[in-house]
Amino acid sequence: MEALANLIHGFNIAISPFNLMIAAFGIFLGVIIGVIPGLGGTSGVAILLPLTFTMSTTSAIVFLSCIYWGALFGGAITSILFNIPGEPWSVATMFDGYPMAKQGKAGQALAAAFIPGFFAALVSIILFTFFAPPLAELALKFGPAENFAVLTLAFSTFTGLGGGSAAKTIGSACVGFLLASVGLDIVTGRPRLNFGSITLLSGFSFITASIGLFGVGEILLAAEEALEFKGVQGRIGLKDIWVTIKTLWRNLFTWITGTILGFWIGVMPGTGATPASFMSYGIAKQYSKHPEKFGTGVPEGVIATESAAHAAGIGALLPLITLGIPGSPTAAVILGGLYIWGLQPGPMLFVEQKDFVWGFIASMYIGNVMGVVFCLSMLPVFAAILKTPYAILTPLIILLSAIGAYAVKNTMLDIWLLLVYGVIGYVFKKLKYPLAPLVIALVLGDMTEEALRQSLILSGGSLAIFFTRPIAAGFMILTIFLFLLPAIRPLARRVGRTFKVEEVKKAGGD
Amino acid sequence: MKKAEIICALALLTFAGIGTVEAVRLGFGWGPSGPRAGFFPFWLSLILGACSVVILAKAIRMDPAGETARKPFVSKKSLRPVMAVFLPMVGAVVLIEVTGFYLTSALYLAFFMRWMGRHSWVGSLAASLLFPVAAFLILERWFLIPMPKGMFGEYLPF
Repeated sequence: MEALANLIHGFNIAISPFNLMIAAFGIFLGVIIGVIPGLGGTSGVAILLPLTFTMSTTSAIVFLSCIYWGALFGGAITSILFNIPGEPWSVATMFDGYPMAKQGKAGQALAAAFIPGFFAALVSIILFTFFAPPLAELALKFGPAENFAVLTLAFSTFTGLGGGSAAKTIGSACVGFLLASVGLDIVTGRPRLNFGSITLLSGFSFITASIGLFGVGEILLAAEEALEFKGVQGRIGLKDIWVTIKTLWRNLFTWITGTILGFWIGVMPGTGATPASFMSYGIAKQYSKHPEKFGTGVPEGVIATESAAHAAGIGALLPLITLGIPGSPTAAVILGGLYIWGLQPGPMLFVEQKDFVWGFIASMYIGNVMGVVFCLSMLPVFAAILKTPYAILTPLIILLSAIGAYAVKNTMLDIWLLLVYGVIGYVFKKLKYPLAPLVIALVLGDMTEEALRQSLILSGGSLAIFFTRPIAAGFMILTIFLFLLPAIRPLARRVGRTFKVEEVKKAGGD
Repeated sequence: MKKAEIICALALLTFAGIGTVEAVRLGFGWGPSGPRAGFFPFWLSLILGACSVVILAKAIRMDPAGETARKPFVSKKSLRPVMAVFLPMVGAVVLIEVTGFYLTSALYLAFFMRWMGRHSWVGSLAASLLFPVAAFLILERWFLIPMPKGMFGEYLPF
């Protein structure tokens, strides 16, 4: 019950007036970021990261994580009311949420997003509270070899589970790693890949990269479709909330599956809320009694998606705090924040920064309660924000991006880089290169390189070190399996097909 | 789409090539303190090179009559709106370099709202005054984050 005592201590910190205020402010900004298409949680957190430089570390993480919770809530609003995803993880919410809104059930659709999402978050935070410390303890036994094995696992989940082209995924991660290695070599201190430039000596900032790749890139993509926001007013009455709770009770199984699946995918490094939401929607459809109705406006579709997204959002922060490995792109940005605030994320946090860790965990409870109350009550106001015309929204997002990029190092180079990253993000998205591996590699590049080189120094240059230590070997084998998955899958399918053909032949022959 | 895929793969291949050359210059073998500075970039450049060759091969073998290959990278219809967003963006960055962030943001907002969005003069001007003032207060006053001032840097007291 040590966790409970720690949690109570954490509440004492999180309930301080300043932290409560900063949490409310974070939720408010987060919901706005969530609602605005083209401004994702990842770029939103990245843009607002510089605001935390003057805060205490606990207030800083409360602020950033509350933006994240707010964005998780806010994304659904745009998807349901306007059939435009406010966030990548609310794309699947559109499938059933928008048809519901068109049938005049916008209130129920929104409640079906907020309420199950909130309960999924709550269950995940409880899991977080009790399982984070043991995981952190386990992680303390990690040496450089284990660290490297876990880091490679983070990247392998992209190739194995991400779908899409494996070559493009690995290539995208390599570009991120190469950009990360620009500047001073972390082990020997030699300048490298800077081609004589002094500005480049400090390396490429991941903040500029994520704002440019995601934010500016999305704006260019959105311009193509010449977005016009037309929507229906959404207002939630108490009746809608009651109807939703009854619907949730009837679909308890869908909700539980979504929550557990979401939490697990969130904890797995490198994935996050977006794949979790899609997988949960797919599974809910697969196991539904009436799969053909999915996509026509069934609340189960919304419940499955949103519960998984919220659970994954919480889960993604677990490896971040315990291992120093982000579970999602947004968590990767928060990880960068931890470094900037002078904290070393990883197992030692639980020992050295008790106030920080438990204050943060307590703030997750507070933040999510605030989020659901806020969203349910302020809905008409958010619908008004979406009436902001495209011609105001676009320059505003660009200007906010420029602020975010410049604030990192106070160099004009970062604003120029914003344009370059924007074009890269646009091209990559059109050609279906995944962007998340690039950003994550840029954040984790130095750490991965350090772990690899330290391991090799320990072993005298032999790669066997990754397979002779049991924990490292376990992760490595899983990594190799996931890397090979795209190659195995078509093979397995082919084998499966031949079997089926033979069975059919046999059946026909008899 | 096929052409775009090939160009993008070639760009990645060039990037990998630059990485390899630099890594070889730094030394990628075993030095007195373990792997040398070029070790990590060297292997990554090789992997990136291999990936881009795979992407390139796939793109070249793509059926030119197929749907994905024939779909243009940017259709003629959507090129205009994309440029209408992108070019002012580039203009704004150039302007930030010259006149600083706050004046640029006013001009950029006013331009975009008046000429792209066809908003009224009053609304455009109001928004283009409100944003820089709010940004100035939040950034420079409250959070002490300086923004680029361009050529006015020496004359302004903040």
